[in-house]
Amino acid sequence: MTDDTLLISMVVLPFVGAIIAAFLPTMARNAESWLAGTVALAALGCAFLAYPAIAAGGALRAEIPWLASFGLTLAFRMDGFAWLFAMLVSGIGFLVVLYARYYMSPEDPVPRFFSFFLAFMGSMLGIVLSGNLIQLVIFWEMTSIFSFLLIGYWYHNASAREGARISLTVTATGGMALLGGVLLLGHIVGSYDLDEVLSSGNLIRNHPLYLPALILILLGAFTKSAQFPFHFWLPNAMAAPTPVSAYLHSATLVKAGVFLMARLWPVMAGTPEWFWLVGVAGLSSLLIAAYFAIFQQDLKGLLAYSTISHLGLITTLLSLSSPLGAVAAIFHMVNHATFKASLFMAAGIIDHETGTRDMRRLSGLFRFMPITATLAMVASAAMAGVPLLNGFLSKEMFFAEAIETHVPSILDTVTPYVAVIASLFSVTYSVRFIQAVFFGPPPVDLPRTPHEPPFWMRLPVSLLVLSCLVVGAIPGRTIEPFLRLGVTSVLGEATPEFSLAVWHGLNVPLVMSVIALVGGALLSFALKRYLATSRDGPPFFRRVKGQRIFDRLMALVANDGPRFLERYLSTRRLQPQLRLLVAAAILAAFLPLWRQGPGLGGLTFPPVFDPIFTLVWVVGTVCAVIAAYQAKFHRLAALALLGGAGLSVCISFVWLSAPDLALTQLLVEIVTTVLILLGLRWLPKRVEGAMPVPLSLTTRLQRLRDLILAVLAGLGMMLLSYAVMMRPAGQTIGAYFLERAYTEGGGTNVVNVILVDFRGFDTLGEITVLAIVALTVFALLRRFRPAPDSIPPPMQQQIQRKFDVAAPDRDDGATLTDYLYVASVIMQWLFPIVIVLALYLFLRGHDLPGGGFAAGIAMTSAFIMQYMAVGTRWLEDRLRVLPLVWMGFGLLLATATGLGSWLFGYPFLTSHSRYLEIPLIGEVPAATALLFDLGVFSLVLGATVLMLIAIAHQSIRRIGPARAANEAEET
Amino acid sequence: MSEAADLPLWAALLVSALVLVGAGLTLIGSYGLLRLERFYDRIHAPTLGSSWGTGGILVASMLLFSVLQTRPVLHEILIALFVTVTTPVTLMLLARAALYRDRTEGNADVPPMLSKDVPPTQNP
Repeated sequence: MTDDTLLISMVVLPFVGAIIAAFLPTMARNAESWLAGTVALAALGCAFLAYPAIAAGGALRAEIPWLASFGLTLAFRMDGFAWLFAMLVSGIGFLVVLYARYYMSPEDPVPRFFSFFLAFMGSMLGIVLSGNLIQLVIFWEMTSIFSFLLIGYWYHNASAREGARISLTVTATGGMALLGGVLLLGHIVGSYDLDEVLSSGNLIRNHPLYLPALILILLGAFTKSAQFPFHFWLPNAMAAPTPVSAYLHSATLVKAGVFLMARLWPVMAGTPEWFWLVGVAGLSSLLIAAYFAIFQQDLKGLLAYSTISHLGLITTLLSLSSPLGAVAAIFHMVNHATFKASLFMAAGIIDHETGTRDMRRLSGLFRFMPITATLAMVASAAMAGVPLLNGFLSKEMFFAEAIETHVPSILDTVTPYVAVIASLFSVTYSVRFIQAVFFGPPPVDLPRTPHEPPFWMRLPVSLLVLSCLVVGAIPGRTIEPFLRLGVTSVLGEATPEFSLAVWHGLNVPLVMSVIALVGGALLSFALKRYLATSRDGPPFFRRVKGQRIFDRLMALVANDGPRFLERYLSTRRLQPQLRLLVAAAILAAFLPLWRQGPGLGGLTFPPVFDPIFTLVWVVGTVCAVIAAYQAKFHRLAALALLGGAGLSVCISFVWLSAPDLALTQLLVEIVTTVLILLGLRWLPKRVEGAMPVPLSLTTRLQRLRDLILAVLAGLGMMLLSYAVMMRPAGQTIGAYFLERAYTEGGGTNVVNVILVDFRGFDTLGEITVLAIVALTVFALLRRFRPAPDSIPPPMQQQIQRKFDVAAPDRDDGATLTDYLYVASVIMQWLFPIVIVLALYLFLRGHDLPGGGFAAGIAMTSAFIMQYMAVGTRWLEDRLRVLPLVWMGFGLLLATATGLGSWLFGYPFLTSHSRYLEIPLIGEVPAATALLFDLGVFSLVLGATVLMLIAIAHQSIRRIGPARAANEAEET
Repeated sequence: MSEAADLPLWAALLVSALVLVGAGLTLIGSYGLLRLERFYDRIHAPTLGSSWGTGGILVASMLLFSVLQTRPVLHEILIALFVTVTTPVTLMLLARAALYRDRTEGNADVPPMLSKDVPPTQNP
């Protein structure tokens, strides 16, 4: 296998697996696990295969051109450090899959779990293997999104939703900052390529933009790695299923932050700014989180805070800017991943087998699950830093670095003390974890009787614990070559000499370790009594919750702030909004014109008007003016007059030889008028005498102002259109279309050929917008509550009903049914006729006026007529009206037709036309554009019918009981 | 139209006569719509145009093109069908609405009731 396929398949395989996993049946727990496990193993195998090449001292690279014109390529790059991480991500990923198979309950929808899990793994591998900074940020954001989905997996749980939301907000905001930082970095270096960035350290550190870039990148890293003060999302994320926590908070998600810091360490570290920013965040996370961890009552909560603390340790090590510090940081990343993953899994086993994670309720589990208990004890000893385990080695290295002076300052002086205290705390919570859960009297009233988990569920824990032991006992034979490989690829020439021996002789770090171990154990016994009954969270700090501050902040940004702005800068009333909008439009048009000087730019009104055309327009204008005048109090008349204005526009199109436009305009005009007519019934009735009869001066002035505004806007539009339309057209592409319509589009109706072929992409966009608009209208009308006086049936129906009820030989509602019986029967007959018309318009569209849009509207009018003739209930009992399906079909068909051209190697939406010989009918022109047009037809039909239904269903909707009671009381 | 010159005299006469009759009837109908006083009278007038008016013109058209193209041209039958089916609907809707309004408002010139199956005339 070549390097290219190796690298690319490592990133692509998990995503392919995610897609497959999503489509497996809900119950297929085994199939899903096999799939996910195979993918993880395959990624691991790829990493193994790549080892010889990387061990030989090179970095593998693979590139795929992406946006070549912007200098962006998809670059994958694997050096020693990336290799180390890839091994961790895929290896622990595999163990977590195995564990999840037994952890997830048969009721959980596992396809979703494994699909997200694999996609997350792919994104994480993408971060690790990215050779391009922009690409890295994209994968970074993908991890945010997939971790959001994973944390919120049990979304019926409020805390899961909350945790997922917080983690997404924090990490995605950080990702945004990171993008800014990366863009700055790319600007400084002149390239986003990782190799180039890594080779321009001096350039970056001495650039004036260094500090902003550093701050932005660190924001990204700190939010991801849950460093103080962004740490609060991590404990909230514990609502996730335990396999997710074990994976996200040991080897992957939170490690992405420290991974990035280590990756950019050679070029960004070594400055006082780096030392202070990273050091303060790291030390405070290290200390505060360790302290908080002691007082957690939830097993996973304890592990969450301890994760923050250990990440703080890594961050602190990176802040020191010493090569040995970086070595220790990288080493601790690996160690922490192994023992933390196993501890999370152990906590999950305890939760799974006992039904609780509350340490106040758990006790004496050793006698029920001795093997799990032993494994957990070894793992937490590693977390505490007990000798002969891997945690001890990296902690010793940390102590050795902490006592060195790097940048003379207070921070540097306090580092060793903080290190010892935090380490002491870490011993305390590790002891507490073991002591509270496994020792003491047997537990009482647990939800389940505890017992050992199945062997396969314990296996991942055992393997991880074994690696803790082996690395801790014989580091030189096991981890050292790999660690050296990773360190060398980060530090390059600066790689220091280091040795991973268990025994370094009696030195200061050892003394510090002993103090921490002994002190921590003593502290845990001192606190034992208090912790057995205390509330969750540390004393004093219990009340200061990062989450609450975050919630306040979110409320301010998303709720109170906008409300404040709305109150003082905006309004909810439609009239002022409209007024502002029109005024702004007038200003926007007026300002540039004013600069040019007023006037029509040399245009004069033509001296002669065609009298008939003028007459059409005079009629149209008069209709429009009267409609505006009547709009408020006589809506029906206004609507009829609007139809008149529309007809005059339609006639103008015919006059100016645009039959396509005229046809479409006519149909649209009809359908719109009818739809609005149907809606009129729901508008509130006119309130008589709302205004005092001699209008007050203010009202008059207001009305005058609105009139002036309206006239100005109208005249302005008119002048603008006139100025544009009367100008000689100049060089347009019209001639091109006219020339090519038949030869290339296969149609003689140029308008239609432009719509479905030349500018098919525009049309696709437009029909998408139409679909969205229809859905919005539907959503708005579905929740529409009419004015109280429009709710009862209209007066006519009430009279008829009264008559029916009074007459002994009539059924209730008979008049309504019989009244227009003949007419309604004829309207039913019209249904097939209108369908034929629509079909006719559709089929001739490519060569003569017509087309999918016009046909769709014509077809809609058939439906409207049926709704009016026979009523909603009757019709929908007999005819399947599925506007959503039609819309979806239309969009899919149009897109699929466009995509189809790819199969033949043509660009998106290329159409093909030819003549087909059909028996009986003969030779007919056929183009793939017809299929596209069918999509347009279907979508237009669906969208319009959807709006029709939204109105039609108003009349058959029952009023809610509360409201009905109200109405009854009033009458 | 230049082709019209090829028309035999008998056909030309017949077509002209039919067109004139159709157009004349339609004109009378439109004039009636303008002149008649009450709504219920006026609603009858345009039916002249939509029945025999259209009919005459359509027959003329069929004749003209059948003779010119020496094959039966029958498309116009469809037009006749559509017009016959659709116009009554419009007129019926209009008449029913007017009748209804006049009765509920108790106006003077309402046509008399034919049976008891008619809604009451007073306001609720």
